[in-house]
Order: sequence, then structure tokens, then C-alpha cells
Amino acid sequence: MKTHKLFESKSHTWLMFGRDDDKPNEIIDTNQYIVITHKNALLMDPGGIELFSSMLAAVIKQLPADKITHLFASHQDPDIISSLGLWDQALPSATLHSPWIWESFIKHFGMNNISYSAIPDEGSALKIDQVNLEFIPAHYLHSSGNFNVYDAEAKILMSGDIGAALESVEAPLFVENFDEHISKMKMFHQRWMPSNEAKNDWVSRVRKLDIDMMCPQHGRIFKGDDVKRFLDWFEALEVGVIRKPSAE
Amino acid sequence: MSELSTNYFVCVAEIAAKLDQATRIAQQLSLTASNARAVALRAGERAAGFRPLTDFIDRLAEITIKSSRSINLLAATLSQTSADKVRADSAIEHFNIVFIKAKDSPFIDSLDEVYQRCQTKQRQLDKSYKRQIDRLSDELIMLSNELRNAVILATLSRVEASQAGIEYQEALINVANNVEGAASKIKEHINYSQQMVSTLEEY
Ligand SMILES: [Fe+2]
Ligand SMILES: [Fe+2]
Repeated sequence: MKTHKLFESKSHTWLMFGRDDDKPNEIIDTNQYIVITHKNALLMDPGGIELFSSMLAAVIKQLPADKITHLFASHQDPDIISSLGLWDQALPSATLHSPWIWESFIKHFGMNNISYSAIPDEGSALKIDQVNLEFIPAHYLHSSGNFNVYDAEAKILMSGDIGAALESVEAPLFVENFDEHISKMKMFHQRWMPSNEAKNDWVSRVRKLDIDMMCPQHGRIFKGDDVKRFLDWFEALEVGVIRKPSAE
Repeated sequence: MSELSTNYFVCVAEIAAKLDQATRIAQQLSLTASNARAVALRAGERAAGFRPLTDFIDRLAEITIKSSRSINLLAATLSQTSADKVRADSAIEHFNIVFIKAKDSPFIDSLDEVYQRCQTKQRQLDKSYKRQIDRLSDELIMLSNELRNAVILATLSRVEASQAGIEYQEALINVANNVEGAASKIKEHINYSQQMVSTLEEY
């Protein structure tokens, strides 16, 4: 599991974990993110059960385990949060922030110690030490209850499955050529995302944010102008379609 | 790990299923008891010796049903304990990997407390698992002993039947055969369950 620093200021640090060499081949590669503040930390989309040991090992190289007081799961998918039963043992006094609609579903992963903080549909704010974070609604992209995490100071949007690309663990961390990158994202967005209306609603909401880096849960991070390129491309894309790759 | 755990869940589920079957047979047995009572009533004085036997059949059925029920309950608890045990074992295994992968980390000690807590939990679960298996095993022995009486009961029934006169003889012998048949079927299920329990004891 590789660790990469995305942002650092007096108040906090953003790290990305991913490109796990130890990962079994048949499971999708995922990116995990953490915001470390003075006394606390928020671990976002901590990943699947198969990844837990690698993740915890990577995390513990950076900070003591009990400093992670907050977890975030953008939605209920197994690649996002099936490791919960184990985090529940490792971080018994942490709080999990996740969409209200998934509370009774996510608890199936095993949650006896961690407490659940349900995010309302309209989103909410989370202040950790001096750091202000926002849960931005991203419903139906692809999950029917889904949020992004936005940090206005770092100008980072953790976008979950939005902007995801299916590629190998050797792939670079950042998008280098947007046009070339499209082929790795197109099917994922068309097939997994069900609603054009929800998509356009999200695009208009996110356009108002000042973003330097858009960080998806799979694939590469979008930087600078590529963020705007992504928003334009995504807005024009028709989603909720099943199309055989050969028909393109 | 997964093969082992599948096994013990399957074992526990099979024990519960076997005892369910035993309950159903015991319910038929109590039907037999009321049939026997009706025949003995019609046979009047000549089947007087048969009446205490019908009470005995009733008791046997009742004990089997009651005992099956409590074994079933025990099996359910055991299944829950097994699930918790798998979870605790898996957490420990995962932490062990972390201790290897991040052995040079300055923060590795921060896991000690949760690791110890998991180990304590694991030991507690092991203890209650063993206790539950013991209780299950005791219950099965008790039930099995009770069933031994059924053979004696059937023999006695046959003797009584022969004294009840020709027209009731067949019906009463039938009762005796039913008791014997039911008891041996229940016994089969118990034996199978006892084998399962001894497999569980090895974990
Ligand atoms: Fe997803
Ligand atoms: Fe995903």
C-alpha cells in the first residue's frame, strides 16, 4: 500500500493510500484518504475487508491508531466499508459519518463499538479541531444515498465513486492526459450512475466550489484544470445506459 | 480459517436440524400415547396393565420434546458464540499481520490496548464456547438415557398386549412397535448429534 501526501498546512494534512501491491487480483483497487488534524483524524472510505490489514499497517506508519476518531463512508458498498467490523475492533470509540439511509444496512458489517452519525440528505458540516469539512450531497452517483467530502481550505473534494476509473495498481496517481483518461472512466459512469438529473444537479453544486484536487475512490486524482474538464465531460455524458463496449 | 469456521457453523446447524426432527417424532409418539389410551379403554379390565404404560409413553414424548427444545436453544446460542469467535479470531489474525507489516512504525504500540482487549474477548468466547458444548453434550446424554427406557417400555407393552385378548392384541402390539420405532429413530438423531458435538469439541 502506497502513501502519498496531497496537502499540508498548519492545521491539517491530507494523505492518500492506495495502489496496494498485496491486494488480491480479483478485487477492485481503491484509494483511501485521511485528514489528520492536531489531535484527531478522519479516515474516508476505509475500504473492503480484504484490504484492512494493509490499510491499518499503512495508517499506523503515519499516526497512532487511537488518533483516528472519525470515519466516513460515502455510501454502503463493500469496497467502501466492508472492513467496518474490523475497524470496530481497532477503533472502538470512533464515530462513523455516513448517509442516514444506510445506517441499518451498514451495521450488517458489524458495528458494536463505533457510533453512527447519520448525515441528512442535504449534507452537513464537520469540524475537527480547527478544520472545517463539508459533506456535499452526491446522491445517485452512484448510490442513492451518497456524499462527497469538501475541504475549502485545502480546496480538495473527495468525490467517492465520481471520477472513478478502472485501472491497474501500476497506474499513476494523477490524471496526466484527460482525453486519454476518458476511456477508463466512460463505462463506469454510464453503467454505475443511474440518473442524468442527479448528475447535473451535482455538477452545478460542485461548480460553485473552489477545487484544486478532485479525489475519487478508484483510479487517478484530477488536478487544476482537469477538475473543470471532468465537470464539463461529466455534464455532457449521458448516464444510466447499458452499452456493450463493442458498440462504441 | 474459513474451512474450520464453515464446519462449526454447519455442525451446529445440523445438530439443531436433527433435534428438530427428533421433536417431530416425539410429537407422533404422543399421538401414539393417546391412541393407546383409547384402545386400552375399550379393552377394559383386560388391558388394565396397559394404562400405566400409556402414561409412561406420554412422559417420554414430553421429555423428548422439552429436551429437544432446550438443545435447539443451546445450538442457537452456540452458533452465535461461534460467529463472535470467528470475528474475534479474524480481528486477531488481521492485527497480527499489521504487527508484521508496520513493525518499524513509531506508532505500532498504539495498537497494544485494542489487541489485548481482543485477546481477552477471544479467551472469554473460548470459555463460553466450551461451556456451551459441555451443556449440549450433557443434554444429549440425558435424552439418550431417557430413550433407553423406551425399549423396556416396548417389551412391557408387548407382554401386556398378549394378555388383553385377541381382538385388542393387534392394536396394542402396534402401539408397542410404534414406541420402539419412534425411539430408535430419535436415538439415531441423537447419536448423530453426539458425533457432531465431539467434532465441535476438537475446535
Ligand atoms: Fe460504490
Ligand atoms: Fe467504489
